[in-house]
Amino acid sequence: MNCSALNEAYRSIAQFHENERLIARVQSWKIIGWLTPNRRRHVLFIGAFFAGIAGVLNRYAPWREYRHAGTWLVPAVAFPVLLAIVYLLYLMALHFKRLPKVVRVRPQICCHLFFWALLLVIWSAPDSSGFGIAVISLIALSFPYLIWRVGYMLLSGQRGKAAGTGFKDHLFYIWPVWDGTNTPPGKGHDNLARAEAQTAEAYARSFLGGIKLLLLVLVWKVVMQVIGAVVYGDPRISLTPLLSGHNLGIPRLKSIISGDAAASLMITWVSLYLELVWEALSIASKGHVWIGILRLFGFNVFRNTYKPLLAETILEFWNRYYYYFKELMVEFFFLPAYLKYFRSQPALRIITAVFAAAFVGNMYYHLIQHKNPLIAGDFVALWQVLGARLIYCFLLAAGIACSMLRQQKQRSSSSSAALPRGGIYRLRSIAAVWTFFAIINFWNIAANITIPERGRLFFSLFGF
Amino acid sequence: MDREKQKNELIGFLRTIQRPDYPLDEIDENLGLTESGLIDSLALLQIITYLEQTYDVDFREKGIDPGELRSVRTILDLIAREIAT
Repeated sequence: MNCSALNEAYRSIAQFHENERLIARVQSWKIIGWLTPNRRRHVLFIGAFFAGIAGVLNRYAPWREYRHAGTWLVPAVAFPVLLAIVYLLYLMALHFKRLPKVVRVRPQICCHLFFWALLLVIWSAPDSSGFGIAVISLIALSFPYLIWRVGYMLLSGQRGKAAGTGFKDHLFYIWPVWDGTNTPPGKGHDNLARAEAQTAEAYARSFLGGIKLLLLVLVWKVVMQVIGAVVYGDPRISLTPLLSGHNLGIPRLKSIISGDAAASLMITWVSLYLELVWEALSIASKGHVWIGILRLFGFNVFRNTYKPLLAETILEFWNRYYYYFKELMVEFFFLPAYLKYFRSQPALRIITAVFAAAFVGNMYYHLIQHKNPLIAGDFVALWQVLGARLIYCFLLAAGIACSMLRQQKQRSSSSSAALPRGGIYRLRSIAAVWTFFAIINFWNIAANITIPERGRLFFSLFGF
Repeated sequence: MDREKQKNELIGFLRTIQRPDYPLDEIDENLGLTESGLIDSLALLQIITYLEQTYDVDFREKGIDPGELRSVRTILDLIAREIAT
């Protein structure tokens, strides 16, 4: 068998979801024909209630540990109140044009102000263990998860796309059965509706696309197990004991930064690059689950992660690494800043918008993500977990801004400069992108050391 | 300016910002610009600037709906709406 035949065989296996015969076969399944878009949305709508209850209970349990307070009556009250708030926000999106101008112009800011008003109430309460405060705390705890999702719903209202939609068309992505992080995979109603399969054939394609992603999750999990055992010798991985102590013994970056493991300069650099690979595999396998489930339900949306380690520019990497987080930053921070500031100064306009998204937006997203210390008003704990991230976000924003301006300059200066180049040039570009993200990731790893200590370690990477 | 002229101007502009490795002779009105790979997200910003400067479109109040910038047809529809208002 020659190379091209092997390549062809690989393609037909890897791209099985595009095989027309297989699509026709799946399309003929009764379940595919029965699960019309309306029925699929009904299933997800009912699932949303269970996901919502599970989500509230999940957030309540760690909160109870954090504050040692509350009864099980708290989630029983908080869930219907949260549901009512989401419904009220849905009505606002539905009748967006009738809202007061201040809300119409800045719906997202109003929504976030509501969250911060809840925090103020909690922080200023004389008795933090009271039942009412416990309910408000649980509502506030649930908000970082909901706020970006309802943000997309409000965006839909702002664009006039929510008119004629039902509550069930929104609740299923606000409390999705696929759960996930605070970032909504698939975004909101507008994007999901656009990507929704309307025919049995389109549904079969989406279904197979979902199966492919879920199979890829298994592949990436196996790869992670192998790296964990062979490279790191992680005792928590079941493969490690089978190797009878034969592993490369490279420490995880977190252990090196925390001082739990000693490593030479070369091993530290290797660990830096490996961490990037590990993070990419980890985020890909999580994202493929969310998008895989979405596709199984007929929403044929883009992947969350698509070959980021082959990106040739910083901008491309950011676009491919965690697509829906990037989209969230773009829609809620980049575009508003881009439209508002420095419209007559193109370079400054881009720099401002990039910093609004990758620095301010990124920091804000992670600030409200650390909900337990935030709601408890534990600012020392917040600084400990987020201080180093300030530097990470600054470097990320600077890198993206440079990458964007460079690409734009290349494009406008000459067409040949923007032409794709292969071979060594491509490898060099990929290596540069890896190096940039591996280095800035040093500031993103959670470790219990101060910023000056981390700074000293960081500069020691370069021999200082 | 009629729609045909707007379309020709828009396609002429898209030619200047399209990916250089994208071999496409004809740009179909319904072609998904980013989905097809013709342009990237950076080029979308250039389309926004083009609409602001050429047709005085002000996105500040209603924001940007990526769906409105999806294809030549949706961009022309947006221009028509803006001119009408």
